[in-house]
Amino acid sequence: MPHLTDAYRLARWLAGSRADADDIVQEASLRAFTAIDRFNGINARAWVLSIVRNTAFTWLSRNRPSTMVFAEDLDGAARERMENAAVTDGAGPETPEAAAIGRSELEAVRARVAALPPAFREVLVLREVHDLAYREIAEIVEAPVGTVMSRLARARRILIDQAEKAEGKRV
Amino acid sequence: MTSPAEHEELDLLLGAYLDGELDPFAARRFEERLANEPELAAACEKLRSLRVTLRSGLAGEVPSDALRRRVEGQFAPRPRDPIRSWRALAASLVVGLLVGGGVMFGILGNQAGMPVRDQVVAAHIRAIMAPQPIDVASSDRHTVKPWFDGKIAFAPVVVDLAADGFPLVGGRIDVVNLEAVPALVYRAGKHLISVVEIPASPISPVVTSVDRGFESVTWGDGKATYWAVSDVSPDEMAAFVKALRAAVPQVPAS
Repeated sequence: MPHLTDAYRLARWLAGSRADADDIVQEASLRAFTAIDRFNGINARAWVLSIVRNTAFTWLSRNRPSTMVFAEDLDGAARERMENAAVTDGAGPETPEAAAIGRSELEAVRARVAALPPAFREVLVLREVHDLAYREIAEIVEAPVGTVMSRLARARRILIDQAEKAEGKRV
Repeated sequence: MTSPAEHEELDLLLGAYLDGELDPFAARRFEERLANEPELAAACEKLRSLRVTLRSGLAGEVPSDALRRRVEGQFAPRPRDPIRSWRALAASLVVGLLVGGGVMFGILGNQAGMPVRDQVVAAHIRAIMAPQPIDVASSDRHTVKPWFDGKIAFAPVVVDLAADGFPLVGGRIDVVNLEAVPALVYRAGKHLISVVEIPASPISPVVTSVDRGFESVTWGDGKATYWAVSDVSPDEMAAFVKALRAAVPQVPAS
């Protein structure tokens, strides 16, 4: 049960860089140490992941405040704009053109995931990288299962739309 | 055409189906819809291929040795700062959880006293009495097989025996000698057959035994030991085992 790998992968995708992920995992392991008496002994993996997730968000808002825009913090119109931006201009380090030319599909999907709003990115990573059930994801991100489902669906829709857009530009 | 709200509803349903989150009846109803609605089937295919790309694109990250040392190192007791024993215990628990949680399970695994056959039959009985006998419901082995990724350390054998009269119902995790192992569930008429796969085994012949109305059949192919458990008739069980062994690649004929 290599939870370090799980912890690192979640931190890596929340932070966006390996160096930041290392710092987050180290801080999370200290937090786990002080909170070990609150561990119920059942699902160690989910417990570790929820500590990593919470550590990542406090660490990022302290050290990388510009990356921390939460969908739930925005009003309806701003959220709409952000989600649409993620779809239309490939938001982030990657333009559709760059994705289409000379980059492998895998690199493109990594860049698109990195550019997803954090609230969508975390549920997608917990589902596709950690393979957790909706119920477990809901506990870790402290949201209802219905919210997890709709964020997951939105994240997938965004990724599919972007891939199709990139595909369309190439032809 | 579908309205945006219906569209969103379908997205949720598709996702839940592919994520193995539908109960068996909903999954079956949805598979019937998939078979009849080409548009829905196409959307399903898109999501499936996105999943393949995502899983291979995102999964390759591993923690560096430097990080491993940092995590282990920060709990090492410093000579001039003797830590109390409960703190040492807590520290070793955290290091254990993060860096090497598997050790504990390995040790405990050798202490389990119940014969494997009894454990496998007990899991089957428990499963058929539970509200649903499976954790992931699908007749599609391309949905069932990936469900085990990350839950167990190897890819279980999942075969399509529908043509032989044993459609796949789904899969679940059983616990044998305190290790999580995959159990695939197939249907034989009104009965269910559980097939448990335990990795690493010698080649062993087919052995059948019956206890309290449940027949269990076991064999090993050198890679894994298989246990098939059910309350079907002995003839049907024999036919099932034969079909399964024929469908599994590289299993020596008995």
